[in-house]
Amino acid sequence: MLKVENLHFSYSKNGDHALNGASLQLQQGEVGILLGKNGSGKTTLFKNILGIEKPSSGSIRFDGENLLKMPRRERARRIAYVPQHIHFGDLSVLDSVLMGRVAYFGMRAGREDYQAVEKILRDMQLDTFASRSAEALSGGEKQKITIARAMAQEPKLMIFDEPTGNLDIANEQLIIREAKRLAKEKNISVLSSLHDLNQALAFGDKFFFMKDGQVKYAGGREVFTPAVIKDIFDTDVRIAQVDGRTVILQNF
Amino acid sequence: MNAIAEQKRKNRIYTAVILGMLAAVIVIGIACLFVGASNMTFRDALDALLGSGNDAQSRIIWKIRVPRVLAAVIAGAGLGVAGLVMQTTLNNPMASPSTLGVSNGAVFGANLSIIAFAGGFLSTGNNIQSFDVGANPYATSLLAFVFSTLSVLLILGLCTLRSFSPNVVVLAGMAIGAVWTAATTILQFYATDVGLSAAVVWSFGDLGRATYRTDLIMLAVVLAGLVFFWLMSWKYNALLSGEATAKTMGVHVEGLRFATLLLASVITAVCVSFLGIIGFVGIICPHVTKKLLGQDHRVTVPASALSGSLLLLLADTLSRSLGSGSALPVGAITSLLGAPFFLTVIFGKKGGHHGC
Repeated sequence: MLKVENLHFSYSKNGDHALNGASLQLQQGEVGILLGKNGSGKTTLFKNILGIEKPSSGSIRFDGENLLKMPRRERARRIAYVPQHIHFGDLSVLDSVLMGRVAYFGMRAGREDYQAVEKILRDMQLDTFASRSAEALSGGEKQKITIARAMAQEPKLMIFDEPTGNLDIANEQLIIREAKRLAKEKNISVLSSLHDLNQALAFGDKFFFMKDGQVKYAGGREVFTPAVIKDIFDTDVRIAQVDGRTVILQNF
Repeated sequence: MNAIAEQKRKNRIYTAVILGMLAAVIVIGIACLFVGASNMTFRDALDALLGSGNDAQSRIIWKIRVPRVLAAVIAGAGLGVAGLVMQTTLNNPMASPSTLGVSNGAVFGANLSIIAFAGGFLSTGNNIQSFDVGANPYATSLLAFVFSTLSVLLILGLCTLRSFSPNVVVLAGMAIGAVWTAATTILQFYATDVGLSAAVVWSFGDLGRATYRTDLIMLAVVLAGLVFFWLMSWKYNALLSGEATAKTMGVHVEGLRFATLLLASVITAVCVSFLGIIGFVGIICPHVTKKLLGQDHRVTVPASALSGSLLLLLADTLSRSLGSGSALPVGAITSLLGAPFFLTVIFGKKGGHHGC
């Protein structure tokens, strides 16, 4: 279980707080979605959970352990990151995914690392690409390779930063399905930011609406009300039921 | 599964390429022993090498050419690999072994020794005969090393304040480098004609200054660096995905950057202090290697080192053959020889590897 409590963080010494007492809880195996305007603190919250940045106060615990005191290598075996902007240098797909094992092998990849990676590549149907340069593949394929790399870390929690930000709708669907499948099959928790509210509804179990560096509303689908969305995004929406699914309609 | 086997086959090809380069360094290194300013025939050189030549010939081979060729191999490897890891850890293709002001610091130290203390290696040196016989032959190298190391420690110390942000490191290096250059200019302004020319000649790189002892010191440092860099190659690869992502994969980026910059700079400081400025090897070799063999550091770490050895060997041999009696500055030859090749590779059509 991930438990973030009262997190404060600022990018400059005297600047505004990018996180201003953010808190959230996510049970094992749940898919949590972070929603909010640009600049509301979603990416900053991720960076703090991932250990890229250090909060000035507050606590982050994972399965009871203090993440802020954990060595980076230990943390990498629990939490993996699927960033929005993807670079691999010009490593092959196999090597790019093998990179996820660095937290385990340290200096030289061993036989069991190769075996673990080969299994993931087969499972995600990437094995036919294995020797190609990862950088030369399409946006959707690259995104899949980053997910495969994150899987190679054998994490309990995967963090996605705008996973569908640069993709067409077919690839959006593919990536969300893949992430959801892995979360359910391997009992991995997922924490993801998304811009599209309907995508969020389809993907998530739990929702965190962020504003001014805080999680202002949290809960299941019932949190989606026109009033909440008005408060968070400052825009009017209608909520309808279509084929038994909740759909958010924007007023254009 | 075939694609995975294919990838493993590629890895074997890279291993073969590196072994091939190693063989080339050995073969060319031995061949270079037969080239030089004295009018020795191939037969004479061979006899001297095998221990059956006359005294003078043996001395030329064993006291002059062998340490010189070894220096080219060792310093070339050190400068080549130092450039590569500096570029990776600073995420900057323009970074070179001299980025942390190492060369400028060394030049200042050497100038101080030669101009202010009228000393140094010149009593044993090549072009200008001793103007102060009592000087310690290692004084200039020592002062050069002290000031270049000082420069590195100063910059790394400053950068701990900003947790080694790559741009801060590069800018601090430029600023401190500029201070050394300014101080050198002022020193030279007050120098005598002889002191000034001696100081300028020092800054031309010259492998002729190498002895077995200096070779051994360089070897120890370069070897330590190579082993460390090679062991860290997966972590350098992780940095190709960006600093933030590397951190989430468990890499201690700040520590890696500090250790890498320190080792690379010490390698440079040692080489420059003993041999003078040998520019451009640390830029050319990593870039050509990356362009031709890709960015995987398991390959580029040994390949940059070996290509550095090759470049310096060829440049030194050329400088010895062109100079008719006294060798041309090897630093100039590395650039003259390397730059056209560098440009051909950079502008050449070789698909796949875009990252310089």
